[in-house]
Amino acid sequence: MRAGMADIWRPGRLATGAILAGTIAILIGALLVSLWAAGQRFPTTGSSVTGIGRLLISSATQAAISTILSILAGITLAWTLDRLRFPGRGLVIGLLSTALVMPSLVIVSGLLAIWGRNGWINLLLEPFGLRAGSIFGLGGIVAAHVLLNGAFSARIFIDRLAAIPADKLKLGRSLGLGPIRRFLIIDLPALAGSIPGVAATVFLLCFTSFPIVLTLGGGPAHQTLEVAIFQAVRLDFDLGAAVNLALVQLVVCAAIIIPASTLGPTATLFGARRDTHWPEAPWLAALQWLVLILLLGAFLAPLAAVLAEGFAAMRDVLAQPAFWDAAATSLVIGTLSALLAVALGIALGMARALLPVGTLGRTLLALPVFTYLAVPAVVLSLGFFLLARLTGLAPANVAPLVLVTANALLALPFVFAALAPPLEAIAMRHRRVIRSLGLSAFTQWRQIEYPLIGRPLGYALAVAFVFSLGDLGVISLFGTSEFSTLPWLMYRAFGAYRTNDAEAIAAILLLLSVASFVFIPRLVDWLAHARNR
Amino acid sequence: MIRSITTSLCAVALGALALPAFAQDNPTLTVYTYDAFAADWGPAPLLKEGFEAQCECTLQFVSAEDSISALRRVQLEGDSTTADIVLGLDTATIGEGKATGLFVEHSLDLPEFDIPLEWTDEVFVPFDYGYFAFVYDSETLSTPPASFEELIALPDDFKIVIQDPRSSTPGLGLILWVKALHGEDAIEIWEGLAPHILTVTSGWSESYDLFLSGEADMVLSYTTSPAYHVIAEGEERYKAARFDEGHYTQIEVAGILASSPNQELAREFLAYLVTPEGQATLPETNWMYPVLEPSGGLNPGFADMIDPEPALLLDADEVTANTRAWIDEAFSVLR
Repeated sequence: MRAGMADIWRPGRLATGAILAGTIAILIGALLVSLWAAGQRFPTTGSSVTGIGRLLISSATQAAISTILSILAGITLAWTLDRLRFPGRGLVIGLLSTALVMPSLVIVSGLLAIWGRNGWINLLLEPFGLRAGSIFGLGGIVAAHVLLNGAFSARIFIDRLAAIPADKLKLGRSLGLGPIRRFLIIDLPALAGSIPGVAATVFLLCFTSFPIVLTLGGGPAHQTLEVAIFQAVRLDFDLGAAVNLALVQLVVCAAIIIPASTLGPTATLFGARRDTHWPEAPWLAALQWLVLILLLGAFLAPLAAVLAEGFAAMRDVLAQPAFWDAAATSLVIGTLSALLAVALGIALGMARALLPVGTLGRTLLALPVFTYLAVPAVVLSLGFFLLARLTGLAPANVAPLVLVTANALLALPFVFAALAPPLEAIAMRHRRVIRSLGLSAFTQWRQIEYPLIGRPLGYALAVAFVFSLGDLGVISLFGTSEFSTLPWLMYRAFGAYRTNDAEAIAAILLLLSVASFVFIPRLVDWLAHARNR
Repeated sequence: MIRSITTSLCAVALGALALPAFAQDNPTLTVYTYDAFAADWGPAPLLKEGFEAQCECTLQFVSAEDSISALRRVQLEGDSTTADIVLGLDTATIGEGKATGLFVEHSLDLPEFDIPLEWTDEVFVPFDYGYFAFVYDSETLSTPPASFEELIALPDDFKIVIQDPRSSTPGLGLILWVKALHGEDAIEIWEGLAPHILTVTSGWSESYDLFLSGEADMVLSYTTSPAYHVIAEGEERYKAARFDEGHYTQIEVAGILASSPNQELAREFLAYLVTPEGQATLPETNWMYPVLEPSGGLNPGFADMIDPEPALLLDADEVTANTRAWIDEAFSVLR
């Protein structure tokens, strides 16, 4: 009975999880059906989308390469950061996730500021008569994806490593484990539980990535299915075809998610925040420093470039009332959707922790979490728009509700990847105590789970908050000139030659994201441990 | 803003029917348009001020991502749409607009326009126009190419950045531009352009940003783009490359919806849009040419723009019928 918590019966938790998973699945189904039904009402000249097979193969290859490299980079980065201690480490960890949640327009311009024709690298190489190769093409796409997702997976993995119980480390140290055996015996089992979830998420992100692929891909040679769906909706207005293509994308994504969520090993290691630190031998620490500096340079330089370019016009932007309106909207929507996403993540994670590995129920609970990520943004936003019309409400009035829901669902896979493995590990580790004391579900949460899950909970809140802060997807159909968020304002400024304003807003978004990633987890950690102080 | 969000959230939560929030004596005229038009720095605020001063009505702009999205939104909303006018379709998308059957004839006595062709359309009213062109930085490029052939003949490391014709107006404009000039041989031009295309972005913003940050030597934009840099920034370095064979024309139009209960008011607005006062709001907010002499004259900054003659324009029906085939043709050599 190693896997699952089948010996502790929590019908309330299971039912809540099942109802939520069902609701999400129904919502996504309703979005697709409303779009399909609307498609029947409009005559179309027929979709001109062709070459689906080729698109599928090229997107899948690109996504697979991006995912493998992202996970490897993530593990390496987490491994070095776990061993090394230095001032500003918290800030560096906070910075790691920000790339993921920034609008891709910002990431692309940050990358180009470093690797582009007039980028920093070429400025450095120029005196030596050298030039860096072009970033446009498959290399550029993969680089951008690894930048985004490598840092994200590192962030998740660091928490897993930090949660290895102190007694386990003490034991390993007293046994004198070498660096390789230490990694294999202590670190890898702690990471294993989250690798499938993180990898599935990263794959989906790369598979459906649209603006990055289009901009850095160098033209129609490298494209994703998402572009074809966009074409069906925008150019052909063939909504039926768009739904069919979206279903193809869903099926491919399901083929990735189902094995990942079914076969993934259960996380077993989980402890409270610990202060034990076991550094590596000096020679290895030196190597780790080198790796860390190189990786951080690659991850942080584009972000630094965004900040540097945005600084000039920041004062002007801060003086605009439109900025403050958009900022207020973004903050309110971000807070609400973060709370919703985390509530959903906890409920689904708790329910899943009750089911043994390999059961159908487990997969069914996890599937809706990822589904949303697999549905193209243009389909979602149209679907929400049509659903809103069915309810008879004016789009302007439902816009906040739709934004909160859509952003929460968008962040859910990340929240789930951060929360579900630790919830499962805690349940496993404290199973005996819970059973022998006969704790109620609520006491279990209050006394055991809540205090232990502080760190990932804080991270999950921050990721959901910042995701919503940076989202550009669903607002497009609902935005009016009065209702706007920060990324939308930024996009508008870019579209009106106001590049300086746009860069300043991007820099502000970045600062807000970093601040959220640094302070929200601390706040939650502090709240979770308030009683012990 | 916070208050209004909370209010709407409460309204939604309570299941309250969100009827148009306040009863007004004045009718509201709703215009669906593209975002840059409705933005704070776009023409919308000036037009609102000018028109409301004479109409005893409220003028409301609702922005979609682009004009095609505005049209699609009206299609989705059907008869229950609140839109009275769709503003921002252009000569390449007029056909799509007409195919929806949602528009009525404007039945206005239009003034004499100063545009590159005689306007005979019964449904749409033109309000500004421009020409597609490649924009370059005169500080790094002294002699820009003067035709597609000259561009093709440049070394392969001379890069241009263009937009996806499926998602962007200038991107579609380039397809039509090449077609108008080279007809059956358009594919050869695309083959020649392929090595020079750094990338194809989804929107104009991405590619213009790539150009401004020095990634590409030229960007597909408008002949009037340099006017923004001159007038708003006092920056003279950006120029449009004049192609002797001609530049493709984009005329932006507005049309009245058949479902509108305010058609008389909508006609008044379109008439105002093409008065010298209405036209004066456009050049320095939308960075396009007015369709007739605006009151106060055109900013002299526009005088330095290149002469696009001969102005090119394909027949609207031909465009609608062939757009997809032409895009496929261009893409077949870009892959």
